[in-house]
Amino acid sequence: MVALVIALALFFDFTNGFHDTANAMATPIATGALKPRMAVALAAVLNLVGAFLSTAVAQTISGGLIREGSNGVQITPVMIFAGLIGAILWNLVTWLLGLPSSSSHALFGGLIGAAVVGAGFGSIDVSVLLSKVVFPAILAPVTAGLVAYLATKIAYAVTKKKQRGRFRYGQVFTSSLVSLAHGTNDAQKTMGVITLTLIAAGTQKAGTGPALWVIVVCALAIAIGTYTGGWRIIRTLGKGLTEIEPGQGFAAEAATTATILASTHLGFALSTTQVASGSVIGTGIGRKGASVRWRTAGRIAVGWVITIPAAGLVGALASWIALAGIVGILADAAVAVGVIVWIFVYSRRNRVHAQNVHLEPTAFVRPKRRKRDRTGRTAK
Amino acid sequence: MTIEWGNFLIVLVASVVAACGVVALFSVGIRLVSASGPWLRATGIASFVACGALVLYGVYLIVPTLHR
Repeated sequence: MVALVIALALFFDFTNGFHDTANAMATPIATGALKPRMAVALAAVLNLVGAFLSTAVAQTISGGLIREGSNGVQITPVMIFAGLIGAILWNLVTWLLGLPSSSSHALFGGLIGAAVVGAGFGSIDVSVLLSKVVFPAILAPVTAGLVAYLATKIAYAVTKKKQRGRFRYGQVFTSSLVSLAHGTNDAQKTMGVITLTLIAAGTQKAGTGPALWVIVVCALAIAIGTYTGGWRIIRTLGKGLTEIEPGQGFAAEAATTATILASTHLGFALSTTQVASGSVIGTGIGRKGASVRWRTAGRIAVGWVITIPAAGLVGALASWIALAGIVGILADAAVAVGVIVWIFVYSRRNRVHAQNVHLEPTAFVRPKRRKRDRTGRTAK
Repeated sequence: MTIEWGNFLIVLVASVVAACGVVALFSVGIRLVSASGPWLRATGIASFVACGALVLYGVYLIVPTLHR
């Protein structure tokens, strides 16, 4: 059971990495500041480094959403197992649709679903859900959008037209910062999950930090995930929402970095994915002549709204089946692996990779039809 | 349910100041570094350096061992 949870947690870490490559690297890839392969390699290395830099593991992986502790619910390995299945499946579905959605919300959703089945609706703290998830989800893109809008205005007011290509050099640094910040945050979640599982199973003392091997495998899992690159999501963020020029890319990344750092250090946590998406939209509004494809933005917003219920539903279902004991757990694992394999096979029908990431998306996220771009590369 | 509006406002202001600062400095750098006149060039280079310093401050904030 413990081994199964660890394997799932690492796979979640992997999906987290490849889901979130886009946050940092969609804009430099879109403007040609970095070659696609180079960008994901850089992001992977920075995520790996970031994971080692910070090992302050969140003691409550649910972030207080579930009433944990002596007078509340004891989170069991089975609950974590079911929650992880919900989170992973939802991450893969949103990846298939090319939607940037928060991996932490998927994890919260899965755990909530599992906890509701395991311990009833009373185990969920609705006020924490509202103040920590729902309101930040509205505020994050608005904040980042406003910041990116202002930054874009400044960038375009100060520079002359033919000078703006030089923003590409700056983009390398700002996008690297986003990647590093991501590594210091997101790998910790999986370390927390694995450490809590080990403590629950009695193989590790309560109150101790993650073991070295846990840190190493988590860092590797998120780095490999990042390198694999969630090209579909990179395409949506880099091309699907608006046409991005280097000046906008730089402004958007500066806005993303500033908003994330401010929110983590001044005590108002915001989701990286939602901040990054908001920045891209803001920069699209900020440049004259750029248009934002609001239909795509709307699809992304819908994705955010249903992330927690959807992951929760899968988590609840997995948890309900797991109540049947070892047979149920094995059935869960088998079904999950089946669905994961199916998603991967299905995704190959319409593959997005480093070579065609510059094409306009047409399959699931449909912007207005364009005549150019059919040859494989966008005109700069 | 408590939304910490005060904290949110601080985050908003800090983000605007930091992001606009970095972008403004980098833009001024781009604009002036190829301008004629030694003073303008020097100002351009200085704003690149200031921008780099802000980015380094970002790294400082990200790496917890540096500020704890």
